[in-house]
Amino acid sequence: MSEAVDTSGEHELDLSWMDQKGPWDTKAEESRYGLTLADIQIGEYGETPDVSDNLTGRPRGSAPRPGSYRIGNYAVRTKNEIWLDNASFLYEEALQRQWSSATDVPWHTIEPLPDDIEQAECQLATFFTEVEFVAGDVPARWVSETTPDFFEARQVLLAQVMDESRHMDVFRKRAMANGGGLMQATGATSGFVGSIDLSRDFTEMSSRLHLSGEGAVLTMFRMGELMAQNEAEKAMYRLCAQDEARHVAFGVMHMRYMSAAAPERREEIHCYLDEAEGQIVSGVGNPAARGGPVGESLAILLGGGKDKFDEGMNMLTAIRRRQFREYKKRIVSAGFGERFENGRSRLMEMFEEAA
Amino acid sequence: MAKSSKASKAKTAKKAPAASAKPSAASDPAIAATPTLVSSQAQGKADSGQPEKQGPVLDWMNKTRQWGVRVKPGKAGLRLGDLNVGIYGEIPMQWSDQSRNPRGAVPRKGMPPVGYAVREKVGMWADSAADLYEEAIQRRWAPATDVPWNTVEKLPSDIERAICQVCTELSQFANVEIETIAGWQHQMVYGYHEVKQYLATASFDAARHYECFRKRALVNGGGLGVEGPGQVNRMILESSGGWSATVAYLVLVRAVFTMTILKYLARHAYNDAERFIYEHVLQDKARLLTYGLDHLHFAVAHDDEQPAVLATVLAIGDRVLTRDLRDPALREALAIIFGRGIRGARRQGMEMYEEMMADFMQTHLGYCRWLGIARAPAEAMPPPLNRHAGASVAA
Repeated sequence: MSEAVDTSGEHELDLSWMDQKGPWDTKAEESRYGLTLADIQIGEYGETPDVSDNLTGRPRGSAPRPGSYRIGNYAVRTKNEIWLDNASFLYEEALQRQWSSATDVPWHTIEPLPDDIEQAECQLATFFTEVEFVAGDVPARWVSETTPDFFEARQVLLAQVMDESRHMDVFRKRAMANGGGLMQATGATSGFVGSIDLSRDFTEMSSRLHLSGEGAVLTMFRMGELMAQNEAEKAMYRLCAQDEARHVAFGVMHMRYMSAAAPERREEIHCYLDEAEGQIVSGVGNPAARGGPVGESLAILLGGGKDKFDEGMNMLTAIRRRQFREYKKRIVSAGFGERFENGRSRLMEMFEEAA
Repeated sequence: MAKSSKASKAKTAKKAPAASAKPSAASDPAIAATPTLVSSQAQGKADSGQPEKQGPVLDWMNKTRQWGVRVKPGKAGLRLGDLNVGIYGEIPMQWSDQSRNPRGAVPRKGMPPVGYAVREKVGMWADSAADLYEEAIQRRWAPATDVPWNTVEKLPSDIERAICQVCTELSQFANVEIETIAGWQHQMVYGYHEVKQYLATASFDAARHYECFRKRALVNGGGLGVEGPGQVNRMILESSGGWSATVAYLVLVRAVFTMTILKYLARHAYNDAERFIYEHVLQDKARLLTYGLDHLHFAVAHDDEQPAVLATVLAIGDRVLTRDLRDPALREALAIIFGRGIRGARRQGMEMYEEMMADFMQTHLGYCRWLGIARAPAEAMPPPLNRHAGASVAA
């Protein structure tokens, strides 16, 4: 005879929720790089809808609750508006490659510089402090307007916000580390029509921010060895370039996806590129453009002083050529290379002139 | 700020005669008001990349508000807060500049505004923001490689189902945190960049939380459960009247609730992977809590209306939270985890849940008292909060 079970003081449970669940028996396994986002894209959990009807913000693959309020109101609910195929990879890489401007830059290697060079460095640092966080503010806004069904893309953008915050901070630090200070802002990211801030479509924004703006800056960071006066600056540019390359890769891969998934938008994308090429890539919107505070600072840094301005300007011209070449490669990779063959883009013409 | 000014005297060189002799753009309207960028863009001029024949203009040189700054790295490196020296550490109560002019730089006149909604220090500031920013960077971790996933082993089906339910709801909490912070961040002016930078780390933390709870749900033969009831989610997202009110919901209510859950989960973890996740998310959340308390403290200290507004906001929040708490999914899932199964959930598990809720309410009310925000007496709160508010927590 079994003993009677004492159930006094026990709470009654309503376990009906246990039957409401997403696909079960899921067992993601670690790969070579740990348990990555790609490793959990398995079964239905890896399926992203072409159009998301998730307006409650539920995690993709979870069981919906019929009574939930539609609190999402997401502007970006169509996959081709934001998707890219390698988002998981870019996000995991961003996590692995985080760095600290406080401790990873060898600040002790900075030594007093001639006044013209310190001023040029501080002007350049002021410019970067000013513009780097446009690439933080703007992706953040789009994250808040994108359905979590496309969370992989959102994760990359959140990593970008973090990266840009660090860039803003490292250049401010540089401006104040060596007997200088901040100089004059350029106003480069103000509220102009067609600016990165004011874009009303994610792909338009990405074409301006990731492909054109950050692409141009990436080339400059990559040439940091030429501009840097000490190991601290070399480290700054190298680390920033690493981050920036991921951001540019986001833009290229998104465009590639968009091009394949929504060919009806190709002409529209070409129009964004026309505009960006006229301003950010070839115009004075490019930080490496001749003249103006940033271009002249770069020439001084590259030449090694105000008295070697012309040599510096020649080197800056070489950087611009490289910017053009790299930009072209990215656009070709994104699937919009015909603009360089059919005469639509004037960049090659300018490149030939400069060569 | 007094501290910063004092520090500035030590770290900042006095304006050198040469520096003070330098012309300032602010006093040179011909230069400051020349928007070369705009006019060239408007004319559609393109730069061919050809070397220029004429010499440099160099009219940007010597334009600085303070020169001669030499901030040295300390024991913890060169930290963001170390830069607040001299004029660079002057943080005004209002920031009317709607461009991205870095604090302390010479502004350029005539630039179209970017447009920011939060332009007052009282609406976003926390003295700890710069330190929290640096701490977040130092304490970074990666769910893919830092969590010992190989320690997760097969669990009884009721426990696995419960853990997956909790992970589903915690992942959804993280989603709301992401959307809320990201939705406000771009509305904040550049003058208080330390806060914007700290919030960048907070949304990145939340991204990691979203990811690691999802990973835990999908790694051990389970899957995601049912989405949460979402009333508090809605409340946080809809609190668009001001960042301070949003912080009250996001931090004083949601973060304190989540941290309490994590604390109890860490005590009842089934393996090292879960323990690692709960403890590290808790560590991240502690920074958000610090920011939130610090900000609300600043807001209350500088705005006489704020305590009453926050009291109203939180009283509304009590009723909304109550609606979420009526849902059995999270409550019972936690009880199953604490009771090591459905059977144990009915008594020990629910007792532990009740203790956890009392802990949450006592902590929440303690912070409100510290901030000077008047809350209703326990008996006037809606059930079950009244019970939790009046209960004492076992040590």
